[in-house]
Amino acid sequence: MQESEEKRLVEIRNKLKVLLVDHLSLEDVKPEDIKDDEILFGEGLGLDSLDAVEIVVLLQRNFGLEVKDMNKGREIFYSLDTLAKYVAANTEDKSE
Amino acid sequence: MSKKIKVKKRGNELGFQIFMISVRLFGLRGAYGLLYIVCTYYLLFDRAAVKGALAYIEKRFKEEGFFKQYWRVYLLFVSQGKALIDRYAIASGHEGFTMRLKGFDSVKEIVNQSKKGCIFLTSHVGNWQVALSCLKELNKNIYLVMRPEDNVAVKKSLRIDSEEEKKVRIISPEEDFGGIIKMTEKINSGDVVSIMGDRRYGFPALDVDYLGEKAGFPFGAFLIAASLECPIIVLLTAKLSHKEYLIDFNNVIRPKYDGKKEKRQQLKKYVQEYATILNNYAESYPYQVFLFADVWTEVSHNKIIL
Repeated sequence: MQESEEKRLVEIRNKLKVLLVDHLSLEDVKPEDIKDDEILFGEGLGLDSLDAVEIVVLLQRNFGLEVKDMNKGREIFYSLDTLAKYVAANTEDKSE
Repeated sequence: MSKKIKVKKRGNELGFQIFMISVRLFGLRGAYGLLYIVCTYYLLFDRAAVKGALAYIEKRFKEEGFFKQYWRVYLLFVSQGKALIDRYAIASGHEGFTMRLKGFDSVKEIVNQSKKGCIFLTSHVGNWQVALSCLKELNKNIYLVMRPEDNVAVKKSLRIDSEEEKKVRIISPEEDFGGIIKMTEKINSGDVVSIMGDRRYGFPALDVDYLGEKAGFPFGAFLIAASLECPIIVLLTAKLSHKEYLIDFNNVIRPKYDGKKEKRQQLKKYVQEYATILNNYAESYPYQVFLFADVWTEVSHNKIIL
């Protein structure tokens, strides 16, 4: 059970890495360059507040998720890992 | 993730009260009379205000000499003072103002037909606050992106957050992610978000042509509109004559991405469209551009860490 959850988390992380590189203004960054626990804003990946709009939209379009709570938003958007965990916790596992 | 924005405060509630009492005792023209003294003080002693105003006047009246430009700074100060007095007179129920609406019916149609909300792009021109009463007619919640603590008097006069005017609320750019997530949420819920488009306050900007030179304009509103696929309605107001205002909703911009590459650069043509609209406005109403910032020398960049 735990193994399948971890496998799903890895899949979501990898999908998010591709989406972030695809949709955001990341120069010369490849999906494989992004660490699993990469911090998204400020240090780390260096995203800015306007990139948050793109993340909100890509969560909506690719996972059907909406981020409404600002305080929650700060936690969710902290790193790639926290973002992936939020997606995993709020979407169905279709492989089951 | 949140950011403090420094803005120098001028005037206070006592000052506004003095002007309001003058309006009651001597009428609007009487209150305007006080402005000539107050503005002389600012012209002589407020270097920052003069410098900010000169940045615009030098571009708008570039052929003129220093003393003529300096005189125009004074006229600009007086014009802004009149706008402030009008704003508070209207808010406190002073009668006899006429609002000429341009394009409001088509805006109502756009807003009512769309499931999503829209962005009203306001500028430091005219007297955008006088348009607020019209926006309330749209029957949507309105969110003004502004710093609440710097606008106590404005907030009071517009009855923002008060019980009777629950439809007008503030989103502070000092919130996490510059208030962006909240703006996104509100537009997705069908509400109206009003954003200032001509001063960046340290936020990311793109270089566009404005009054014959390159200026750094923020592009956040355009990025949000392109991402959420919602329209931007450029809201312009101008004082036409004593007690007569124009509220112009005619300019609608629909930012759209053409592919995923260099998205921010793709927004440049839309920001330029807006700058051109402001350019035309400055041609028509030279003393109603209240930028008070040198948007031409602020180094632009399209990335900022918050």
